[in-house]
Amino acid sequence: MTAYTPKMPGPVLTARIPTYPWADPKDRHIVSYDEYTRTGGYEGLRKALGMSRDDIIEEVKGSQLRGRGGAGFPCGLKWTFLPKVEPGTDPGPRYLAINADESEPGTFKDRLLMDFDPHLLLEGIAIACYACHLQRAFIYIRGEYHHQAMVLEQAIKEAYEAKVFGPQGLLDGTETNAGGTFAVECHVHRGAGAYICGEETALLESLEGKRGWPRVKPPFPAVKGLFGRPTIINNVETLAHLPSIIENGHQWFCGQGTESSIGGPPSFGSKLMGVSGHVNRPGVYECDLGIPLKVLVEDHCQGMRNGKKFKGAIAGGVSTGVLGPDEFDAPMDFDIGRKYNVLGLGTACPTIFEEDTDMVGVARNIARFFKHESCGQCTPCREGSGWLFQLLSRIEKGDARTKDLDLVLEIATSMGAMPGTTICGLADGNNWAVRTIVNKYREEFEARVRPSFVPVTMSVGAAANG
Amino acid sequence: MAWITKPSGTMAVEQRSEPYLTEDMKNSIRETYLPRYETSKGALLPTLHKLQHTYGWIPRQALMEAADFLDLKPADVIDTASFYEEFWLKPKGEHVIAVCRSIACEFCDHKAITDRCREKLGIEVGETTDDGKFTLVELECLGACGGAPVALVDEKLHENLSPDEIDRAIDEARSH
Repeated sequence: MTAYTPKMPGPVLTARIPTYPWADPKDRHIVSYDEYTRTGGYEGLRKALGMSRDDIIEEVKGSQLRGRGGAGFPCGLKWTFLPKVEPGTDPGPRYLAINADESEPGTFKDRLLMDFDPHLLLEGIAIACYACHLQRAFIYIRGEYHHQAMVLEQAIKEAYEAKVFGPQGLLDGTETNAGGTFAVECHVHRGAGAYICGEETALLESLEGKRGWPRVKPPFPAVKGLFGRPTIINNVETLAHLPSIIENGHQWFCGQGTESSIGGPPSFGSKLMGVSGHVNRPGVYECDLGIPLKVLVEDHCQGMRNGKKFKGAIAGGVSTGVLGPDEFDAPMDFDIGRKYNVLGLGTACPTIFEEDTDMVGVARNIARFFKHESCGQCTPCREGSGWLFQLLSRIEKGDARTKDLDLVLEIATSMGAMPGTTICGLADGNNWAVRTIVNKYREEFEARVRPSFVPVTMSVGAAANG
Repeated sequence: MAWITKPSGTMAVEQRSEPYLTEDMKNSIRETYLPRYETSKGALLPTLHKLQHTYGWIPRQALMEAADFLDLKPADVIDTASFYEEFWLKPKGEHVIAVCRSIACEFCDHKAITDRCREKLGIEVGETTDDGKFTLVELECLGACGGAPVALVDEKLHENLSPDEIDRAIDEARSH
């Protein structure tokens, strides 16, 4: 059908989590510490401890691993923003915050890793902590993930008992290349139902026991983060990539995924893609970055539900906006934003819509989400998100005028696209979602609104003749 | 139009003699959570989680006890507690049915699930049954879009729901 050949040698992140097409998901189970080590686990960490910190950071930079949380910021580069530690000096407390606050509608990929293979994440945490000289890690997990928090707590307990973490130093006090042992603490911190806490500085505020209001940057967290100390914030999936990168080297990682076709930074490596919506087999799949959406849907998800036609897809979490009916071929890589006029790849978890989906309803649903989750700190977002929801509800009911459609676009643009109006990117996501839907399905919206004026042909006043 | 005022300044907080934040809870917070954070305020979310888990909601008196225990101002504690949706500052039913209403669930017919709950329990979204057993809410994304439509019954997630399945899940919760 489609001439697409994956470059991945086999499952990487899902090596221990049975996933189609390699294995049947019904065999999934929680991988314990024993099983994890028996299948080669913590070898990446052992190798990392024998390397110098600079070499690890160079390796990660060489892999060009881009953050899997949505923004796609290069992980190795982020690490270099930390203040340098002079050998033999004590830099004081420095933190790693792991963003497991996966709450964007459509996104459910990190959940798979935490559900079944928690030690992969813990190994990644240990490597990042050693490489960046961070002594304490907090896994910030969303409040609704009750089961996943329990699995993680249990895995951390096992890791402490096996002396991976704890005061004796990583891996039972293994001598590190940097001299001596390096001790890391790891804890779970549960959120309590606030989407905004997935924004990195709001996450830090929440860790400090405050309301999750994003901070003004700079100072950036790498310089002044949690409790005013240098802090690195990484996504669960980003950290889960570290063990295999360290073990196999960056060339191996760069052999997967794809180069940029428009001269941008490349999209190397595999990616968890959680497909939801109107497909026959929704779920999380591990694919090369760059896999066309159509292949993902037709091969992995066994096509559209009930044989219906494809109408559109949210690219990766609602804030990224939609891919239109003629953009089914879009390759899922970090270029997608510039090539298909969406915000970006986001979390690469597409939600697929079939032909009879009401796109006005989709826009209204997304606007309601952002209205509900706006934290209330910046006025344009707090007020604008409410107006957008009201206007879109009115259009959906068929009670709106043509000018309301223009008003929707104007509000979206002025709250989101105008730089400097809000502190964080929530309004931006709201803007992209609403604007791309209205622009790509404009005729559907126009069919729902009534004309707001009678066209005037006779001019009056100074411009009038006679 | 007359202003509707709320006499917060002079409002008395309902008190009971027995504390909500028991010595046992304090000890476990002191041992487990306080050493993790640089400030005592860091342990506020874990403390609130503990209260919420134990009592199903967090009464004002408990907030004041938490403030006292962590050496914070009551206003700071309320500031944090009221921000997060998961902390109930008003009593709720013994069991909470939370149906997801976000994008994937809405377009995989979450309405059929909510409607069945409304019919079965005889309440609207946001209400609690007269016997205080169930509260029905609709939440934004629960992070399980691949299994849409989904609902949380207390702390257990139910995926790929049909109206009959949510029916059974409610019966199961009732029998506990």
